[in-house]
Amino acid sequence: MTLVEKILAKKAGKKVVRPNQIVEFSVDLAMIHDALGAHTIARFRELGVEKVWDPARIVVVLDHYVPNKDIDTAKKCLNIKKFVLEQGIENYYEVGKGGIAHQVLVEKGHVLPGTTLVAVDSHTTTSGVVGAFATGIGVDEMAVVFKTGRLWERVPGTIRINVEGKLRPPIASKDLMLFILKRLGVSGALFKSLQYTGSTISQMSIESRMVLTNMAIESGATNGIIEPDQKVVDFLKARTNQPFEVIQSDPDAEYAETLEFHVDDIKEPMVAVPPKPSNAVGVTEVEGTRIDQAFIGSCTNGRLEDLRIAARILKGRKADKFTKVIVIPASQEVLKAALAEGLIETFVEAGAVVGPPTCGPCMEAHMGILGPGEVCISTANRNFQGRVGDVTAKIYLASPATVAASALKGKISDPREFFREA
Amino acid sequence: MELKGRVWKFGKDVDTDELFAGRFIMGGDETSQSQYQEFIARSGLSDVGHRENVPKDFLTKVRKGDIIVAEENFGIGSSRQQAAETLKFKGVQAVVADSIHRIFFRNFWNLGCPAIDLPGISAEFETGHEIVINLRQGTIKNLTTGKEFEFRLIIPAWFIDMVEAGGLIPYHKSLKS
Repeated sequence: MTLVEKILAKKAGKKVVRPNQIVEFSVDLAMIHDALGAHTIARFRELGVEKVWDPARIVVVLDHYVPNKDIDTAKKCLNIKKFVLEQGIENYYEVGKGGIAHQVLVEKGHVLPGTTLVAVDSHTTTSGVVGAFATGIGVDEMAVVFKTGRLWERVPGTIRINVEGKLRPPIASKDLMLFILKRLGVSGALFKSLQYTGSTISQMSIESRMVLTNMAIESGATNGIIEPDQKVVDFLKARTNQPFEVIQSDPDAEYAETLEFHVDDIKEPMVAVPPKPSNAVGVTEVEGTRIDQAFIGSCTNGRLEDLRIAARILKGRKADKFTKVIVIPASQEVLKAALAEGLIETFVEAGAVVGPPTCGPCMEAHMGILGPGEVCISTANRNFQGRVGDVTAKIYLASPATVAASALKGKISDPREFFREA
Repeated sequence: MELKGRVWKFGKDVDTDELFAGRFIMGGDETSQSQYQEFIARSGLSDVGHRENVPKDFLTKVRKGDIIVAEENFGIGSSRQQAAETLKFKGVQAVVADSIHRIFFRNFWNLGCPAIDLPGISAEFETGHEIVINLRQGTIKNLTTGKEFEFRLIIPAWFIDMVEAGGLIPYHKSLKS
């Protein structure tokens, strides 16, 4: 069996599971956030149950609409806090304590290899980076998970994405993921799992790998997953005292498909043109496109290495006078490290606004909303029409390096000029 | 269980931001069912005039019991259940599509509304056709053209009971009693 099949078999109490089999499995961890938390709680109340199945297995993170932007969002967050107190949920991250949920789940060591995580958010796939089965669900299902600790799943067949070769900066995992999506399309992996393997993945940092599991959902996949290696074990040992078991795919595992990639085929930084994450083109094809906003952040690309590469480009330079440059670290931990390294000063000096660790303008939620016809280049994960505001606004997706280079010029720009040998 | 209705033909890749924009996610008081339903029904597909994949007159002419037949990858995107709820509260009783995104698929069923994926089905329907779906038999009939199609769903055994109970929450409440 593949890794995801082995996890689901174990959690379903079965020796073997097959792709497309329906299984009922035990949930090791469930996460709600402010965007759909109050909604989940209301449905849980409708079930007429007093107590959640296990408060220690629930994580609550406020990240989309905090600090609250209006009375509606404040009310919903209050409802969530009341529920957390009433149910005795310890793993609660108020704004200023955590950051973006998907980052917090991994960074605080909540998600462990070989376990199952469900959350009311499609980018829950991010946590597959530690070798967990992690996927998004709706609020009615989450209400039932809160009651029973169990859920059903259609066992996804596994598409193996094998990547070989050494990534050369500024080409990063984001460029690789856009390149992969170009081949898979936005529905190429429906009801399937993406498992990333190969020397490129082994060499990558955990942070870079998270870009791949995060955006697995953009191919329609149920989840994204990477076999845990020593890097993951060391990473987690520094973050949790909980014991965990490292599970790998069987050597004779059957894959639905194996797609081979070589990073040398990525000839230039990639940009996904609106309105689909799979619309990847080389940056030179769209170079010069005027932008109104440049956003560096999100659960896709708001981590320390992302801020480092953006700062390397922005250091000692000024962002375009007419471009709104928004930098949002993915968590308090990232913000703290970025402060210590002087990255935040670099952003401020360059004329960027640095936001509190939250989702920011990844979607039309709280801040950085786009007006009619505005163009944004973003390190986030979706560029659907109307995703970040007005339906006529346009969103281009790219790596932190490409977004930083674009911020300087006020138009989509190739970051490679900042990486040539002196 | 038989579902009969009038068809609305949608295009491909109808995404959840399109079905229910981010600006409305924190709106609606989910503790008051009538207020919530009215808000969710009103807020969905708010930018439909700008979209290629939804008929322009869908919002003004959709009626209770209508059925959407869509091209591939219906419901791509977010977990937001409002994307499914808005269709239900506007009156849509089922979605049939060439393929359906996993989370939307689950969300729509959980509301007691079948989501049926059958590759190639969209080519057999146009807006205004009459459709009949027999859930237990696994058949779809186009009453306008007379053609019949078979489907095989990959769903839990209790799913059709759940639809008959009115959705996941009512189904779980009935299990308790």
